[in-house]
Amino acid sequence: MWADSASLRLSWRLFRHEARRGELTVILLAIVLSVAAVLSLSLFSERLQTALTDKTAEFLAADRLLGSDQPVPEQWLEQAKALGLDVAKRVQLRSMVFAGEQMMLADVRAVDGHYPLKGKVKVAEVPFGPARETDALPGLGEVWMESRLFQVLGASLGGQLEVGDASFTISGIISELPDGGFSVFGGDPKVLLNLQDLDKTHVTGPGSRTDYDILFAGPDGVLEDYHQWLEPRLDRELHYWRSVKDDDSPLGRSVQRAEQYFLLASLLAIVLASVSIAVAAQRYSHRHYDPVAIMKTLGAPASLVRRIYLLQILFITGLGILVGALVGYGVQQVIASLIAERVPVALDAWHWRPFLIAVFTGLVCALLFSLYPLMKLFSVPPLRVLRRDLGAGISSRIIQFLAAGVAIFLLMWAYSGNLKISAILLGTGLVLVLALLLVTFGLIALGRRLGQGRMGAWQLAWARIQRRAMDNSVQLISFAITIMLLLVVLVMRNDMVQQWRDQLPQGTPNYFMINITEQQLPELERHFGQAGVQMDTFYPVIRGRFAAINEETIRTDVSKEEDSNNRGRQGLGREANLTWSDRLQTENRVVAGSWHGDSQGEIPRVSVETEVAQRLDIKLGDLLTFNVGSEVVQAEVTSLREVNWQTMQPNFFFVLEPAAMQGFSPTYITSFHLPGQDKAKLAGLMAPFPTVTLFDVDARINQLRSVIEQVSLAVEFILVLVLCAGSLVLVAQVQSSMDERLQELAILRTLGARGWLIRASVIFEFLIIGLVAGAMAALANELALYLLQTRVFDMQARLHWDFWLLAPLVGALVVGLLGALSCWRLLSFNTSQLLRRML
Amino acid sequence: MNLTPTMIKTQAITKIVTTSEGELQILQPISFDVKAAESVAIVGASGSGKSTLLGLLAGLDEVSSGEIYVDGQPLHKLDEEQRARLRGEKVGFIFQSFMLVQSLTALENIMLPAEINGLKDARKRALEALEQVGLGHRGNHYPNQLSGGEQQRVAIARAFITRPKILFADEPTGNLDAANGEKIENLLFRFNRELGTTLILVTHDSELASRCQRQLQMHAGSLTETSQPTEQPEAKRHVG
Repeated sequence: MWADSASLRLSWRLFRHEARRGELTVILLAIVLSVAAVLSLSLFSERLQTALTDKTAEFLAADRLLGSDQPVPEQWLEQAKALGLDVAKRVQLRSMVFAGEQMMLADVRAVDGHYPLKGKVKVAEVPFGPARETDALPGLGEVWMESRLFQVLGASLGGQLEVGDASFTISGIISELPDGGFSVFGGDPKVLLNLQDLDKTHVTGPGSRTDYDILFAGPDGVLEDYHQWLEPRLDRELHYWRSVKDDDSPLGRSVQRAEQYFLLASLLAIVLASVSIAVAAQRYSHRHYDPVAIMKTLGAPASLVRRIYLLQILFITGLGILVGALVGYGVQQVIASLIAERVPVALDAWHWRPFLIAVFTGLVCALLFSLYPLMKLFSVPPLRVLRRDLGAGISSRIIQFLAAGVAIFLLMWAYSGNLKISAILLGTGLVLVLALLLVTFGLIALGRRLGQGRMGAWQLAWARIQRRAMDNSVQLISFAITIMLLLVVLVMRNDMVQQWRDQLPQGTPNYFMINITEQQLPELERHFGQAGVQMDTFYPVIRGRFAAINEETIRTDVSKEEDSNNRGRQGLGREANLTWSDRLQTENRVVAGSWHGDSQGEIPRVSVETEVAQRLDIKLGDLLTFNVGSEVVQAEVTSLREVNWQTMQPNFFFVLEPAAMQGFSPTYITSFHLPGQDKAKLAGLMAPFPTVTLFDVDARINQLRSVIEQVSLAVEFILVLVLCAGSLVLVAQVQSSMDERLQELAILRTLGARGWLIRASVIFEFLIIGLVAGAMAALANELALYLLQTRVFDMQARLHWDFWLLAPLVGALVVGLLGALSCWRLLSFNTSQLLRRML
Repeated sequence: MNLTPTMIKTQAITKIVTTSEGELQILQPISFDVKAAESVAIVGASGSGKSTLLGLLAGLDEVSSGEIYVDGQPLHKLDEEQRARLRGEKVGFIFQSFMLVQSLTALENIMLPAEINGLKDARKRALEALEQVGLGHRGNHYPNQLSGGEQQRVAIARAFITRPKILFADEPTGNLDAANGEKIENLLFRFNRELGTTLILVTHDSELASRCQRQLQMHAGSLTETSQPTEQPEAKRHVG
């Protein structure tokens, strides 16, 4: 047997005694910390993600959606039901609807009684009136429709609406459908009817563009199982499968970003834990040099020594994981119940994955990071019993650094499955380590000059830094990495929450108006102005068919997916909204070419949004052709723009120079903000302009805002967790370095050095280390943030000057304070106690 | 003709270490024999090579050249694992700094070599040994709860628990006051006599050295014999 009774007995005895005497506290604490941090973070973020996914699922009205151009086989639905999934049918198409003489293109949705599987339908009593949730749906022979249709068609409740060959009674006003889409120009106004009524309309015949969507809801695992069953049966030409994760709306992006943040925070917690385990294992190993030498001297073969200590590490790891799991669970439970009121976190939900991850992390960290210190320990020669200066037989910092780097990288990669984030963090870490090594040697050279003169506290501090150059560089690196990681989490949180809030500042437009004619414009402005409503910019819009790129006719028949509600694809293909301006819109950034401004060239110029340009392979210098009515407009692409689609403002794929569009009579688009309490004013405001179409996005904005607030709050809690983890790592580092200083303190004490001198010298030493670590961390932080924000988080990177000053100051303060506290503890012992502790 | 078997035999052993300034010969070729149950003191100034010699004889270190036989086994040909087994079976140690495992109790420290060597009755032997050194009541104390003298008595009990053929003692009284030192010396020589253990001790203390049957003087890595084998003296009754 690998662990024979002698090694088991000896190992257990050592473990028991050392645990009781508090000698395992530091390494145990490090493992507890790693497990607790990883567990609480991943458990909390898993719960939060479940809560947020539930929330976002409402925007799909389901957890998953199967889209199809044709009705899907009933057998597929039966299979889903057999697995225990909830299933609902939705048929969606665009059709002209008529009320008396008036008609309008509408988004007709026929649903069965199970719709929606997630979220609620909201209705109003009067058009544009306040919304309330309902569980009801249109009955047979009835339709519900959006306020806009009432306005355009001049219809009223109880009136008739014709859809295809059938006539329906208008029995409800739709204020909001959960799957209504997030686009400001949310497509055509929606009409909801009972699925059983669809056939009699005869609108789904050949040639119609009809979506037969099946909605699914149920546990993730079952949904995945079903998807696996379904996938081989799907025809790529006809079907597509969507989950909330594919949500490309501003909300979807915010949630994705938050998820990435949680992942990042958990990764950093793992790195922090690894660092603290490495520090603690080093200390543990060092303390056992003597027992190993004694055992070897007494005849213990190397294999026995190895077994004893490997078992010992397993005992420690086991205990650490157990305690860590309990602590981690407790911590996240407290946090979850604290925020339960504001974020719908399911307190009773049980997730196994975080537990497995935490146990795995604890095990891997403990074993990987104690491997090298243990190898050193095993190599301690028996001769150490006679020659106390003999240490371990092997010593290679390079191997140590390399092993630690590789181990951390593999852990991050295995945990996140995200090579990019892992590589960025590791790369920045390496740059930091190299820079710090250079700085250390620079400091030592500086120290030679500064540390000269009479032996005061300052000189003692410099002398120590200089003498223990290599040890100090290791310490400096671990302090700097800890501070850097904390900075990354902190600044990332600040930037992210800020950008989210900027996206929806107070006063964000919550109503949009389109179809404003040139004649209506001054009157409309005056009318709204009198009512105290401030209008935003009026953008001229003209519908144009995108016909050709460089004389090459493009396919205008867009694919199904491109015609979905996604903001990026709307209106492209058949018709696009063209606008013209000499001014670049806010949150638009020219990334190639130059903005056309107001100067006039021979050929009119156009600026194209980058994603469209990419999709249609449009390059600078290309000649685009649009058909506007019977006219042809040609323009040269002179700039490509990146557009922040997350702002609630009208954005355009194509912005032409004004000269190109002279002679066309456009309609105008504008937006305005109307506070909730003024909602009643709307009908009066719109009354003089029956042809102007109003979009109400107030509910959408409120939804978005509430989710963003919840996510921000969650992110803040995660930040606090990581800060706690980081602080504990700092404490562990200072404590372990204190051990190394014990001997020196004892000697200084014995030689009669006053307490204040020793104390001041230790504080100075830690202040210097903290200052340098903080400064270097601020530098590395910028690099890490730049890479993370531009490569992973899809954010605008910027410099954080305030942290350049703050990081060294806080670093010096915190590290200095911790050093002072630990030093205080040591100096509370008398000299003989100190000497005895060295044995 | 002396028929007592030879316990240790050395032939021209040397020790050379490599330093930053080149090779340094710590031990000049040394040859001597030690008979079974003999007590031998190695004396000499600090840095004369006493401890190095002790380390080589005990198999804690390897010779650069020459041969060492311990109880007939060629120590110079054994690897570290084989030397460890030989130490476990035949050798006991006592050190100036006691070298007790701090996280084990006195009793457990004594049991350690017996357990390492797979002896079944480790606990019973350890309890007896503890009684013999007069610490029967302190078995559950940790080393740092014992005085220096008590710690060294624990170390002696530990050294004798496996009934070793040879006991190596490195300055066994170096950290102790006179009264405690004497107790330790008496214990050492008593076990040496009662159990027939060969005793090799390194010391500065000429009085302690004089209680051994032979004294070997180390000087700058060379060995000279200063006294011929005599009958083992009686335990001292009084130390001034």
